[in-house]
Amino acid sequence: MSSALHPPTAHRMIEASGVHKWYPNGFHALRGASLSVHRGEVVVIMGPSGSGKSTFIRTFNALEDFQQGTITVDGIALSNDLRQIDAIRREVGMVFQQFNLFPHLTVLENLTLAPVLVRRRDRAEVETQARALLQRVNIAEQADKFPGQLSGGQQQRVAIARSLCMEPKILLFDEPTSALDPEMVREVLEVMQDLARDEGMTMVVVTHEVRFAREVAHRVVLMDHGEVVEEAPPELFFTNPAHQRTRAFLDQIL
Amino acid sequence: MSHPALKPPLGTRLRSELFGSPGNSALTLVLLAALGSAAFGLLHWGLVQARWAVVRANSTLFAVGRYPLDQQWRLWLLTALLAAAAGLAWGLLRSHPRRDRGGELWPRNDRIAVVLLAATALAVPWWLRLEPLIQARWWGITALLLLVRWAAGHWGQRLPARLLALLPLLWPLLYLVGMLLINGGVGLLPVPPGDWGGLLLTLIAASFAILLCFPLGVLLALGRRSDLPLLRWGSVLYIEFIRGAPLITLLFLGQNMIGFLLPGGLAPDRVWRAAWVLTFFAAAYLAEAVRAGLVAIPPGQLEAARSLGLTVPQALRTVVLPQALRVALPTMVGQFISLLQDTTMLSLVGLMELMGTARTVMANPAYLGRNAEVYLTLAVLFWCCCAALGLGSRALERRLDPNPAS
Repeated sequence: MSSALHPPTAHRMIEASGVHKWYPNGFHALRGASLSVHRGEVVVIMGPSGSGKSTFIRTFNALEDFQQGTITVDGIALSNDLRQIDAIRREVGMVFQQFNLFPHLTVLENLTLAPVLVRRRDRAEVETQARALLQRVNIAEQADKFPGQLSGGQQQRVAIARSLCMEPKILLFDEPTSALDPEMVREVLEVMQDLARDEGMTMVVVTHEVRFAREVAHRVVLMDHGEVVEEAPPELFFTNPAHQRTRAFLDQIL
Repeated sequence: MSHPALKPPLGTRLRSELFGSPGNSALTLVLLAALGSAAFGLLHWGLVQARWAVVRANSTLFAVGRYPLDQQWRLWLLTALLAAAAGLAWGLLRSHPRRDRGGELWPRNDRIAVVLLAATALAVPWWLRLEPLIQARWWGITALLLLVRWAAGHWGQRLPARLLALLPLLWPLLYLVGMLLINGGVGLLPVPPGDWGGLLLTLIAASFAILLCFPLGVLLALGRRSDLPLLRWGSVLYIEFIRGAPLITLLFLGQNMIGFLLPGGLAPDRVWRAAWVLTFFAAAYLAEAVRAGLVAIPPGQLEAARSLGLTVPQALRTVVLPQALRVALPTMVGQFISLLQDTTMLSLVGLMELMGTARTVMANPAYLGRNAEVYLTLAVLFWCCCAALGLGSRALERRLDPNPAS
């Protein structure tokens, strides 16, 4: 199974070490979380709810700030410098649990907005690329509809295509299938799987989908109470985890 | 469309609702009698007792005040330009239906509107006993509107996309041309604001305030939600101060204070002072409407825009504000309608807008006791303007609705 995966390279795309975050209300959400992700690697983050996994990946593109530790994305250290944050966000795509498509724009406009506005590319050229991307996620015929006219699974595939249209170096997925009806989960996971296998895309995925983790991930990470508890290849993670907390978590979900 | 079996015909429903029981029948009859006598009374007054000479003789005064007679061609020209622009916008709107839903070139509402417009253009000048030449101008302007509507509807598709993209600029341009025509200068004889009056002044003051309070209100609403404390507190202070003071005090304050604040030559004319006060007043209320719209947009929208690399101004302009303003649209138009009606307050600081004109007319001994005729005319005029705003806003809401009912 993993023979079909691209082998990750040595180049480090994300390097987070000792990240601490306190919310304004005093809640200590991240307690020294560390993770490094190599180019072409697919890392799945699992963990009980409230363990800080969403907060953690949201720090990678500065949607959340943090108070201690360092995060370096493709060689750029995250700081409060707004221009650097904009530069990082251009290279890091994000897919959300609630899709967050722009409901007042058509599907095609959702895809072309950022490339035209941020990368200042030619609109006609971006539209051609956008239609090709929609073809790849199997919804080419919906290009002129509005997001509200699509099913949840279709919306999430549009959201993935929207991220890809910016040609990012890294894609972050924040529970991409949690808000979907069961019969629509598969179509979204298949798109993600193709991305990992055919493109060698660097992906960090927060999900509860065990099958996806087993078949697509290079590494599976367990987070609990704001820190990374276990990191292992999937075959090891699911069959012979090193930590008691991982075993307790797996007992609950398997 | 509901199933026919679920909805009995109107006659049956009315009978069962109005005459279902003896008590209901009696109540219906009493109410019908009361309504009937009121309607008869109004008709009798309007057709027999009322003396409409007060409106007919002063129709020019009500329309434009003391605007010089030999310069009024400028206002006719402006009306014709506005009619052509309105016809163009109307026609193009129909010839370019939204991509995701169909649209007829001449839907039923448009056919009704054409009949109403034609009837108004024929009946009102006749009823006002205007000179034949003036009556012909009414017909000509209405014909121009409908002709441009027809032409834009049929050939709008052939206009190049680049030209269409520039068309929204037509409105601000037309506003500037309009102010130039009204105010004079650049070769035209200047007509000072003191000579503007009636419906003309009402519309100038209202449109000026509506156009300027919109950007101001949006900025205030964004300021109120800003992370910068100085900006936030400044906006809150402004909004709460303005909303805590009655318009009439602000109007008097504006007339008296702006003179002290600015050196003599720079202080604007009394008309413009009042228009600015109206603008600042409306902006505070508009800011609250826009803020409600901003609150209604889920934070995920801004997050998605930011994670695609858009800067905050870009995200606000292309993602957040279009949605927030759509949510706020009905409230905003409500504010614009009250703003239009608030212009009547200008009469209290001595300006001759519709209300001020009405008061001078009624003070004329020749028209003693003709108050009802004058007030009814004013009410109908205001109703027409407000109904137009309301209809326009509902059409815009439908056009912007991303989730059609189909």
